[in-house]
Amino acid sequence: MELRRASSTTFDGLPVHGGTEVVPLLRAGLLRTDTLVDIRGVVPRDIAPGRIGAGATLAQLECDPGIPEVLREACRLAASPQLRNMGSLAGNLLQSTRCWYWRLGWPCRLHRVANGYGDECFARDGEHREHAIFANDYCASAHPSDVAAALLALDARLRTTARELPVAELYRLPTEADRRTTTLEPGEVILEVTFDECDQSVYLKAMERKRWAFPLVGVAAARRGAKTRVALAGVAPVPWLLSGELDSATPLPRNAYKVDVARALVKRARATIGA
Amino acid sequence: MQLTVNGHQYEVHGEVGTTLAEALREELSLTGTKIACGEGHCGACTVLVDDEPVLSCITLVHAVDGARVTTIEGLRDHPMIDAFVRSDALQCGFCTPGQIVSAVALVESEPAPTTEQIRHAMAGNLCRCGAYPKIEEAIRTWQG
Ligand SMILES: Cc1cc2nc3c(=O)[nH]c(=O)nc-3n(C[C@H](O)[C@H](O)[C@H](O)COP(=O)(O)OP(=O)(O)OC[C@H]3O[C@@H](n4cnc5c(N)ncnc54)[C@H](O)[C@@H]3O)c2cc1C
Ligand code: SF4
Ligand code: FES
Ligand code: FES
Repeated sequence: MELRRASSTTFDGLPVHGGTEVVPLLRAGLLRTDTLVDIRGVVPRDIAPGRIGAGATLAQLECDPGIPEVLREACRLAASPQLRNMGSLAGNLLQSTRCWYWRLGWPCRLHRVANGYGDECFARDGEHREHAIFANDYCASAHPSDVAAALLALDARLRTTARELPVAELYRLPTEADRRTTTLEPGEVILEVTFDECDQSVYLKAMERKRWAFPLVGVAAARRGAKTRVALAGVAPVPWLLSGELDSATPLPRNAYKVDVARALVKRARATIGA
Repeated sequence: MQLTVNGHQYEVHGEVGTTLAEALREELSLTGTKIACGEGHCGACTVLVDDEPVLSCITLVHAVDGARVTTIEGLRDHPMIDAFVRSDALQCGFCTPGQIVSAVALVESEPAPTTEQIRHAMAGNLCRCGAYPKIEEAIRTWQG
């Protein structure tokens, strides 16, 4: 393996920014490459009103007073101080599932095996306390990004080297025909995130302990005038925009508690921002 | 590649994929930095890169080519060490180098941190022995 420093946003190889995802996955053998490309020099990291360089670290975002509350709090409650110093915004949006079967290399539907992909979801019939309560029939993984939920609530847009897209369109539910969980094309680099100002916003996160844990349920809400968007982390294989209430959830035998937690946090979030 | 550790220049030869923690411990024999989980969860491997606490077990050594690294060995004379001893802020001691590195970074930017600030800044350093109350005391009283 070699490590190159990118001199432009066009290159061959696997991009690495803070490496907090890439390095553990490489070491676990879940990711393989001949060429790592350090993109820290070519991805912007500056912060301006309504505009954030995709290379900004979560630590930069958690203490910038110009950032909307929902995004600041999502960053402040994500991961640990060391990881927030290292991890970038784009890398956070592109993190892989924390599904323990996937991380331990079980040959599930999201893993390549000798002749294609695995054909089982081990979590559905196995241990799924932390798994999805929406859209969980094919893969029951729960999207772990607090930050993505916040950006979805803000209706943020991404600018990449190839296109501009709403953050929702970065993600896709895996299917039998196409197992990918993002729409990012090989070689496409995320450069910037933009969003309009909002009147009030909030992020609430339920976790196993008060700090330093992935979201069991994260609730992001942002209000502009009479219009409020609510997005959830930890409840579906992708960041989940809530339409209506939680009654349409389809929990698994051992994670129905997440529906109650989500319902309570959504109610509290709406009350907090006067929605 | 070149690495500056605790003010000394080193030449490092490990292949790409070697972590900073492995390079420090195995190539430079700076074994104060500990590796426990090896995957970013516990903070035992915390070092400063350009004065910011990072996890050396998931940092590729080639990614910090030219950077300034501070390990526990470089903090020998920092008053935080005495504070940990005074407060008896350890049991087995395995997490302690990482705890002290994070604590030093905190007080260098905020010399008199509140309890809330201490808990927020130290949240990434786990202690299996549960010495947390004493660690908090050491940081609260580090100036003597
Ligand atoms: C132990 C642990 C706990 C965590 N807890 C939380 C948590 O509670 N909440 C939460 O939201 N997150 C959590 N995280 C995720 C963490 O925030 C991300 O790992 C981090 O932000 C990733 O950023 P990075 O720069 O290190 O990414 P890298 O590891 O460098 O990259 C990650 C992926 O993104 C790609 N990539 C990076 N930048 C770009 C770009 N600009 N364009 C295109 N592709 C790119 C890489 O190729 C790779 O596929 C946790 C992570 C760990 C390891
Ligand atoms: S939840 Fe998804 S990632 Fe986990 S075992 Fe099932 S298919 Fe694999
Ligand atoms: S050894 Fe690096 S975080 Fe645990
Ligand atoms: S003193 Fe034993 S792990 Fe902290």
